[in-house]
Amino acid sequence: MSLEKIRDPERMRRWPGHMETDYVYTVGLAGERFFREIKDNGKFYGTRCEKCGITYFPARTFCERCLSELKEWVEVSPRGYVEMYTIAYMDLEGNKLEKPEIWAFIRFEGVFGGLVHKLGEVKPEEVKIGMVVEPVLKPKEQREGSITDILYFKPAK
Amino acid sequence: MIIKRKVAVVGAGLTLFRRRMQETSRELAWEATKMALETAGIELKDVECVVMGSAPDAFDGIHMKGENLADGCGGWRKPYTRVFVGGGTGVFVPIAAWWHVASGHFDICLAVAEEKMSPCHPHPQWAFHTIFDPILSRPLGVNLIWIFALEMHRYMYKYGIKKEDIALVSVKNKANALDHPCAQLAAKITVEDVLNSEVLVWPVQRLDISPITDGAAAIVLASEDVAKKLTDSPVWIEGVGWCLDSRYWTNRDLAYPKYVEYAARMAYKMAGIHNPPKEIDVAEVYDPFDYKELHHMEGLLLARKGEAPKLTKEGVTQRDGDLPINPSGGLLGVGNPIAAAGLMKVCEIFWQLRGEAGKRQVPGDPRTGLAQAWGDLMQIGTVIVMRA
Ligand SMILES: [Zn+2]
Repeated sequence: MSLEKIRDPERMRRWPGHMETDYVYTVGLAGERFFREIKDNGKFYGTRCEKCGITYFPARTFCERCLSELKEWVEVSPRGYVEMYTIAYMDLEGNKLEKPEIWAFIRFEGVFGGLVHKLGEVKPEEVKIGMVVEPVLKPKEQREGSITDILYFKPAK
Repeated sequence: MIIKRKVAVVGAGLTLFRRRMQETSRELAWEATKMALETAGIELKDVECVVMGSAPDAFDGIHMKGENLADGCGGWRKPYTRVFVGGGTGVFVPIAAWWHVASGHFDICLAVAEEKMSPCHPHPQWAFHTIFDPILSRPLGVNLIWIFALEMHRYMYKYGIKKEDIALVSVKNKANALDHPCAQLAAKITVEDVLNSEVLVWPVQRLDISPITDGAAAIVLASEDVAKKLTDSPVWIEGVGWCLDSRYWTNRDLAYPKYVEYAARMAYKMAGIHNPPKEIDVAEVYDPFDYKELHHMEGLLLARKGEAPKLTKEGVTQRDGDLPINPSGGLLGVGNPIAAAGLMKVCEIFWQLRGEAGKRQVPGDPRTGLAQAWGDLMQIGTVIVMRA
């Protein structure tokens, strides 16, 4: 029996439920230091696997290729470049955004990986693939050691 | 059925079992994986495929948990599969890994199980609540322990078993765990302590039940030729079995887990075991509650129906008894990170059969061991039989 014609589910015999649960996630062994460096010093760090010749960014605890523990911390220049970007016109719930948001995949020199983050201080039509960008952090006293300590990336001077 | 190839366990790894670990889920899995590879004497590049297992995503709080944990489980550019049968997953992981190798398709398979339950706030009970039928059960505010309490009470009623007889299991397992370096709830307690502990859902009291835990476990499986090159003491997987009962817990015999019996019979047949209590030297039986160890011993045909409490009382199931059950300390003592707890049991049998269990070693050079887990909607049995 199809219920397609019923547009309002409240008209069916029903029991309303929800599956929400709350979580507290630890940032983990590498995350602890990675976010502390952003919070306290405004610096980006990666970790290097000497065996595989790769510096992972953001910093990780272990190498995915050989499972070595990564103990060598390497400072990474916060200036990156736009590998690719997109422009969002709707929010998570499908509502039209007042102002379109630019989201970019940003890579950094000399490391493997990168960050997906927002672009700011730039108009959608001005964004170019390969454009050099730099992070804008929250004022130090407002940082809490999370990815949102980075407000957005803006075109580098 | 013709099994083409013999499969052995050649290495095992385990993390600490704790209420809250700082490590992310992936970091926990990595710690167990790394230890398993090191004890097997191989590197990740030698691993041909990976099987990972974890219970509901709702515990760690990451959907697609298998994929999210892939790097910690060694799943980089390899055939990688997550298997899932709820609480039975921990023993199903090595079963799935076994068929990867027994089929002839792979020579070395890594098997990893992980569970991080502490992210779920305020308590994973809330995640458990959503496994129930949204129409018939959840409107009542059902709590997971209700079901166990009803089952435990039924088991007690049917065979005239007293709570103090069941409490002996908790006393034994928590004491065994004193010798386990990873244990979360090792303790010297008495039957009185159990009987005086807080009543949660009668007859289930605080000390009848295993804790909330974060942890991971891993093992390495290899084909016969490869295993013999890697080690002088491979532990062979000789029997595997699994079986799912009715989806409706109202349509099951609460006093006897028939599905565990079917799973055990499948494994025994494959391993050529005709008299389980005589032929099994040591067993790790799933014990999230103390009565479940007894329930499962009976389902595994290690005790007659209603008689597991008697064996426990007589000391038969102690480490130095005729049929040691849960020499590790089990879920009650070592802890219960759902999928990892089941694989912890397989690790224990591996160490027992290699004579590497240290202070936990059961005497008499055990040759044949069994590990079992249980779960899904309280209706699956997963069984593995191993031989030195
Ligand atoms: Zn590496």
